[in-house]
Amino acid sequence: MKEYKGLMVFAEQREGRIHPISYELLGKGKEIADRLGVELSSVLLGHQMEEEAKELIYYGADKVFLYDHPAFKDFDLLNYKHNIARLVREVKPEIFLFGATRLGRSLGPRVAVALDTGLTADCTGLDLDEDGNLIQIRPAFTGNILAHIKTATRPQMSTIRYKVMQKKVRDANRRGEIIKKDAELVPSLLTIKKKEKLGGVNIAEADVIVSGGRGLKKAEDFGILAALAELLGGVVGSSRPLVDDGWIGKEHQVGFSGNTVKPKLYVACGISGSPQHLAGMRDSDVIIAINSDPSAPIFKLADYGIVGDLYEVVPRLTNEIKGRRAG
Amino acid sequence: MLKIVVPIKQVPDIGRVKFDTEKGRVDRTSAPAEINPFDLNALEAAVQIKDKLGGTITTISMGPPQAESALKDALSRGADEAVLLVDREFAGADTLATSYTLASAIRKLGGFDLIICGEKTVDGDTGQVGPEIAEHLGIPHVAYVSKVEEVGEKITVVCDMEGDRYLIESGFPMLITVSKDINTPRLPTFSDKLKARKAKVEIWTAADLSSIADQARFGSQGSATAVRKVVVPSEEARKGKIFRGIVDEEVGGIIDALEEGRILEGIK
Amino acid sequence: MNVEKLQDIVGQDWVITKREQMESYLVDETALAVRPKPADNVVVVKPANSKEISEILKLANREKTPVFIRGGGTGLCGGAMPTVDGIVLSMERLDKVEEVDKDNLMIVVEGGVTLETMLKAVEDAGLFFPPHPGDEGAYIGGLVACNAGGARAVKYGVIRNYVKGMEVVLPTGEIMNVGGKLIKNNQGLDLLHLLIHSEGILGVITKVIFRLYPRVASSGTMVISYDTRHDAMDSVPKILRSGVIPLAVEYVDRDVIEMSAEYLGMKWPATKGSAHVIVIVTGANEDEVYLQAERVSDICQKSNAIDILIAERRDEQANILKMRSEIYSAIKDKSADILDVTVPPASVGLIMDKCDEIAKRYNTTIPFYGHIGDGNFHPHLMNDLRDRGIVREVKREVYKEAIKLGGVITGEHGVGVVRVPELDLCPDGKMWELMRGIKSVFDPNNILNPGVGIL
Repeated sequence: MKEYKGLMVFAEQREGRIHPISYELLGKGKEIADRLGVELSSVLLGHQMEEEAKELIYYGADKVFLYDHPAFKDFDLLNYKHNIARLVREVKPEIFLFGATRLGRSLGPRVAVALDTGLTADCTGLDLDEDGNLIQIRPAFTGNILAHIKTATRPQMSTIRYKVMQKKVRDANRRGEIIKKDAELVPSLLTIKKKEKLGGVNIAEADVIVSGGRGLKKAEDFGILAALAELLGGVVGSSRPLVDDGWIGKEHQVGFSGNTVKPKLYVACGISGSPQHLAGMRDSDVIIAINSDPSAPIFKLADYGIVGDLYEVVPRLTNEIKGRRAG
Repeated sequence: MLKIVVPIKQVPDIGRVKFDTEKGRVDRTSAPAEINPFDLNALEAAVQIKDKLGGTITTISMGPPQAESALKDALSRGADEAVLLVDREFAGADTLATSYTLASAIRKLGGFDLIICGEKTVDGDTGQVGPEIAEHLGIPHVAYVSKVEEVGEKITVVCDMEGDRYLIESGFPMLITVSKDINTPRLPTFSDKLKARKAKVEIWTAADLSSIADQARFGSQGSATAVRKVVVPSEEARKGKIFRGIVDEEVGGIIDALEEGRILEGIK
Repeated sequence: MNVEKLQDIVGQDWVITKREQMESYLVDETALAVRPKPADNVVVVKPANSKEISEILKLANREKTPVFIRGGGTGLCGGAMPTVDGIVLSMERLDKVEEVDKDNLMIVVEGGVTLETMLKAVEDAGLFFPPHPGDEGAYIGGLVACNAGGARAVKYGVIRNYVKGMEVVLPTGEIMNVGGKLIKNNQGLDLLHLLIHSEGILGVITKVIFRLYPRVASSGTMVISYDTRHDAMDSVPKILRSGVIPLAVEYVDRDVIEMSAEYLGMKWPATKGSAHVIVIVTGANEDEVYLQAERVSDICQKSNAIDILIAERRDEQANILKMRSEIYSAIKDKSADILDVTVPPASVGLIMDKCDEIAKRYNTTIPFYGHIGDGNFHPHLMNDLRDRGIVREVKREVYKEAIKLGGVITGEHGVGVVRVPELDLCPDGKMWELMRGIKSVFDPNNILNPGVGIL
């Protein structure tokens, strides 16, 4: 076990762009590496991504192992696994982190088994015990409990939930080493026949939902909510009456006979909060209610409420967030 | 004629099960046990392939003797054979040991062409066992399959990775894990259910796998990870902070509050 | 209307006078074609407790202002709609589950608690509340005031069978308690059961004590497919006299329930036949469920059933119930009216034939589903009849046939506002006279839900 030292994170890329989860892993990874007094490295498989590799350094990596090959342009499960496992055997990091994206959760288990080590899924927290062992914290039983898990084998391997860890501020003056590695290719066995971008709303999986109700005066005014939703990387939702009136598609409907949602942030605009609606969104992490009627039942469920006209409040909210982000 | 294997897990009804906060474990008596719902999608995917092309479906599970009822349910829904792996030696397994044990049992079954797993289980929620079985068996896998496009000499599946959709082709043998979107599992007919209640489920113990597997890799002994502590987060009440008055102040106040709670940070 | 005095009673925030803020308080789920028009001058008040309700009613009674009681707004006959100028009294703040008494098997809930909330409290206590009247957004007060029925009434009966006590605020402002956590109670006239299904004309139900049952350990939901409605109907009386007492026996036209499934983004499991019967059996264990299911299966096969499915998982059973419960929401847009006729259980086949005849005569279709185990079902009159201006004519034809068979024009939805004009079809003068007399004893100034429930 002693020969294992340092922390390594998998830098995920899609279409030659680094996935933001990678920077979050580096952010958390740096904190843990500093506490252990060890080096933080990252592995990136792609094609012609040297510039991007530097970004990993700017976000905290001391070393980047770069595999440059046309075969790595797209996700190639068996070749990714083969080369990462080889690198881990060579470098022997004590901790190895994947992002818990679908790619990470597909690749991570293969690497773990190839290395005959444990893997903890979808962690939302990482810590160290007094002996420097990794404590992997993950929700279990639909989030009702938090399990603290330790790994007896090395490396200690986990996949980390997206949008939970904080990335560091980008520092373009940061120095680090990019180490080019030679790829060793194995038969890939899987062929990507076609790629496409998925459109459409998937409200059930959205992190942010900005919903409108009877407080909206006409269908076009969903645009006001869409602006805020877009800014927060979310989608637009609706209470049932507006769907019934044909103002917006059923796929946007939140409620007992629509979608049950639990986003990180639910912004209810001009929604009074009928039981039918509340049944579909009461488990949201944070609820903001905007309604001109102080007696609206939605306020009982809200973490933050604004008593006011959504036509005044929502645009200002959008502008203010924009302003603060720019500042 | 494809030979399809569907590994399943018996789980407590997650919508009803309670957590015993004092004992720090799940109170299994609080809810009935049933097939993991994602595994029903896997089984349905298998049955749809079988309906079209013929073949056999073997379902396999590792668990306590009571897990026999889950396998019988699988038989009523279209599986042809069922194998239950029961042994104290298997107990306390993490995903590494579980996948090793299941992979060993699948080897013992003889040849197979396609393994179909659910995307994850509702209790463990790791989604790791499927891909790990594939690695143990040295076959390719595609996770998060939302559609089986074509099955013939090769298999073509649709795989959704967040915003990207891939059409992927593979030869056999291979493994897929399927998402909920792939189908709506059928209900069993009552007569199939009656038949399945009387059907025989094959029981294999650790000894039955000894010729092809290393027993030291089963159960808690073969596990790399262990739960050391369980914390029950206290349920936070809604903050219920209501702003009223001048709009600019309200908006400023609410964003201050969001920033203080670091709510906007995790959102991109 | 004295807005200031109302504000004095409940506080300024809890009185709504702006029309655009009260839209959702003015209508219920009544089909558009028959829905009455809400009055122009309405104030919505949201009291916090029965004491405030008492003050509001005293004020209204003094000033002779009509008061309309507002629950979850899930009613189907306009019973909660302000049809004349007055006060809408919303029960939404009386939303506490006060007590689950496991020793007496009783639950005490306020009138503004939703069915969903109460079912969750019951479930968390490991107990069971058998009836399921559809929309779980309904309020307890409304469920009791309308004596709701729903699917699971075959074995244990309708809501009435569970109410053991209540607190009620009378139109004159007194707060009265009737009944209690009692299984037997013969003290005086039974006001409790008079208040159940009084459709809000005798008092405001602010608190209810319900009886609960131990959880049924095991249940199965069977979906039985037939080629014809007739074969489906044929099996039902045979099931009911076989000794099996199902929790529910429901009938659905396949194309109707498939519309509901599509509306919900779900898939209806049965793929054969055009007429489907849903039977829910319960027992202390799986074997008991199977014993009953086998008997039901044998009977249905003799009645030409072509496919029999069974759901045992909770999620799969819940999905079937949900698709059944949401039929109305799914076809509301296409419906001019939803009827609620009830006949003796064995006459369901006959009334169904009559509906078919009527549909043929008027060259329309009448989709059909309902609680056939109870003889209670819901023919829908579709929008083509509205366009031709003959909704009422066709409706009265159906009602006349039901009454001829010894039935009534409403079995669970109630009279509300929309059925008052049809009550003349049930011309027992003395009966309506007595009801009016009772109303005037409770409510001398006729302020509470005026125009609702009686002729």
